[in-house]
Amino acid sequence: MKLAAALVAALLFAALPLLTTSNYIMGVGVSALIFTVAAAALNLIYGYTGLLSFAQLGFWGIGGYATALTVVTFGGTFWWGLVWAALINAAVALVVGYPTLRTNRHAFVIVTLTFALLATLIARDWVDLTRGALGIPNLPPPVAFGYEFGTTGRFYWIAWGFSVAMLTFLYALCTSRIGRTLVAIKQNEPLVRAQGISPMPYKLASFALSAAITGAAGGVYSFHLGIIDPLFLDFYYMQTFLIIVIIGGAGSFWGVVVSGIALSALPEVLRFSADFRMIIYGLILVVAMFVMPSGVAGWLRERRLARLRKTLR
Amino acid sequence: MTVDAVYLLQLTLNGITLGLLYALIAVGLSLIFGVMEIINFAHGELLMLGAFAMAFALPVMGLLYWPAMAVAILATMLAGLAIYEVLLAPLKPDEFERSILITLGLSIIIIHAMQYIFTATPRLVDTQYGFEGIEIGSIRITWTRVIGAGAALVAFGGLYAVLRYTQFGRAMRAIAQNREAALMVGIRPRVVARNAVVLAAGLCGLAGAAISPIQLVTPYMGQFLIFKAFALVIIGGLGNIPGAIVAAVALGLVENWIGGFFEIVWQEAAVFVIMIAVVFLRPDGLFKRGGMRVG
Amino acid sequence: MSAVLEVTGLRKAYAGVHALDGVSFAVEAGSITGLIGPNGSGKSTAIDCISGFQRLDSGKVVLAGADITGRVAHHIARAGLMRTFQTVRVYERLSLSDNLAIAHQQFDAATWVDEFLRTRRYRKAVEASEARARRLVELIGLQRYYEAEVGILSYGQKKLVALAAALMPHPKVVVLDEPVAGVNPSRIREIEEALRQLNQAGETFLIVEHNVEFITNLCHQVVVLDQGLKLAEGTAAEIHSDSRVLEAYLGTTPEIAEAEMRTSA
Repeated sequence: MKLAAALVAALLFAALPLLTTSNYIMGVGVSALIFTVAAAALNLIYGYTGLLSFAQLGFWGIGGYATALTVVTFGGTFWWGLVWAALINAAVALVVGYPTLRTNRHAFVIVTLTFALLATLIARDWVDLTRGALGIPNLPPPVAFGYEFGTTGRFYWIAWGFSVAMLTFLYALCTSRIGRTLVAIKQNEPLVRAQGISPMPYKLASFALSAAITGAAGGVYSFHLGIIDPLFLDFYYMQTFLIIVIIGGAGSFWGVVVSGIALSALPEVLRFSADFRMIIYGLILVVAMFVMPSGVAGWLRERRLARLRKTLR
Repeated sequence: MTVDAVYLLQLTLNGITLGLLYALIAVGLSLIFGVMEIINFAHGELLMLGAFAMAFALPVMGLLYWPAMAVAILATMLAGLAIYEVLLAPLKPDEFERSILITLGLSIIIIHAMQYIFTATPRLVDTQYGFEGIEIGSIRITWTRVIGAGAALVAFGGLYAVLRYTQFGRAMRAIAQNREAALMVGIRPRVVARNAVVLAAGLCGLAGAAISPIQLVTPYMGQFLIFKAFALVIIGGLGNIPGAIVAAVALGLVENWIGGFFEIVWQEAAVFVIMIAVVFLRPDGLFKRGGMRVG
Repeated sequence: MSAVLEVTGLRKAYAGVHALDGVSFAVEAGSITGLIGPNGSGKSTAIDCISGFQRLDSGKVVLAGADITGRVAHHIARAGLMRTFQTVRVYERLSLSDNLAIAHQQFDAATWVDEFLRTRRYRKAVEASEARARRLVELIGLQRYYEAEVGILSYGQKKLVALAAALMPHPKVVVLDEPVAGVNPSRIREIEEALRQLNQAGETFLIVEHNVEFITNLCHQVVVLDQGLKLAEGTAAEIHSDSRVLEAYLGTTPEIAEAEMRTSA
């Protein structure tokens, strides 16, 4: 049922460029697809494995810069840029993750947060590499087999293909034994160890995969914008991913996908003032954490469980 | 490059003063973590509020440093009290992730509200001391730095005394060391947690007030400082107050030395590299954690 | 009979206090062995050290001929020693079937590649796991909750789930940490009966318990610890008549202590 609905939704999204010629609407569509992938990657590490990672913002930025630099500085293609974005991020995640995951989940949160802020500063201050605050403008449109994805309508197909591929992969992962083990680690780590499973490889793998996917998503998004500068690492993006995951329900694959698509329109609605937009984002986060900390999916689940309890007693 | 001794000494002095101000922020974070096992993400914003309070109080007070600082500390303590009562009091001790997400939301609200009201234009804060300073040979250090560092030292002395000799300081340490036992002997965790948050906020207000004549005051100033304070709390050992102070002063020094000779990007990367190295070599921080120690 | 688990000279100290001061005992294959002792006698420390959840200072632990001394918990589990915990540990938000499947997955040959390709090896592994799970669930009488989330079960039922999970991979020995503590008395009989049946089917148990009556009814061999030392070892009857045990256990004269042991539980 859910899979059928997902298939229909994916096809509907594929048809968007046929339904509208508005670059604005297709641009919102691109954002919705990419943000949903980044949020789903955050859901993997936070919702499934139970590790709140703020490093996603850093991975998003590193991915964007890696892709842009591959094309502009090193003369590679956009597609290789995405591969590099994923690989570099996975490597960084392993280097940062291994020592940090040996400590405790509190330290993990703080270290990843520091990492995200560091990435922002490096984007601004490592001028030789990133060109500093000016950024890298005029990113050339991707080309495949002589076909140039030069317009928003054409670029939309890249975003669509990318997000369908990534979400399919994440879905397969989360519903596999690996995904089940991640949930088990989140819920009761000593029990996992007592059952012969070493948690570390699972945590590291989910952190590295989440980093790689976020990085590639950042790469696609930077070419959608056509420019990359330190604003690409604005905390606004992290905030957006977090809100999508929390409202959708951390640990619920479909909850996060649906909320990703639905909430990506939010920044557009709130476009009238950047400051107001951020204030409203902050309010949403605070209120959501009080009213429904486990999101819409969590709320639905609680109701289902309550009914089950009634019928069993 | 020949190392110029005077230049190095100048960097060292600047490093120590900056490190002491970092320590004020990190100590507050550690204090709150020790008592509540949560992280206050909006801690940097308290500092920013303190700096803004100083910036507004100074002209009203005729540029007098100390009364304006008192206003700043009072203002942040009130803000800390409000934050505790509204947002933190309902949290349970194991809700670490929730605490960080709530205070993250709060931090973003405060930053952007301040930016909306006062714009992002950096403010230069002038005090009765202006830019005068002490000069010893060719080393020069401004009064505002000296006084800021002195105020931080006095604050640490005061904090030590409070934790060591007062009833509510002992209660804080008791909760940090053994929550269950503390509850059993009748310590009320809500009161202790509130005191800890208000105290930490006061330290932050002091830091903000002391830093405002040294750095430009902007709505974003807290974000850059809190990033270092988080790293310091990890390096010093979560919940370890002397550890945080030592780590902070050491970082101030290392940063200034690196900043004096290398590009700024290395200065900023230093804290992160040190933190990862410490976590790698000593997962519990440089100084072992064992409840909240006061020396 | 031969020993499946041999513990020799186990020592563990915390800040100079000896929690275990050279404890040795053995668990025979196919037996139910009880480990009893007053609070603070070192029972919990002993099984934490044996199962790799705490580092031991010195001593030797041998499982079915293999030295597992000082190895990490998940290695020891893979070597065939499964344990439960004093405060019940289950995956509250996973279904009963998933709870049991996770306990089995580390012990079959199927890798994630097998799962991705749905190979024969994967299908066989899942079938074997499922069959074992169904059998155990029937034994603990929770069939109707098979697909339900474990979080909705009662405390006693969760203890049964933890027991079933520990049995999933056909371990060489199962260590139960207070299996009936905090369990409704009417349910204790059920647990006792389930354990006896499992033992007759060939499972080996090492049980740490406070409930002396439970241990006496069930165990072939009982080891008594007191203040980090082994005080006595023998059959339940032998232990019952051992005056040192009675004195250490309750600190009173044998007559009163014996009476109290009968009525406690």
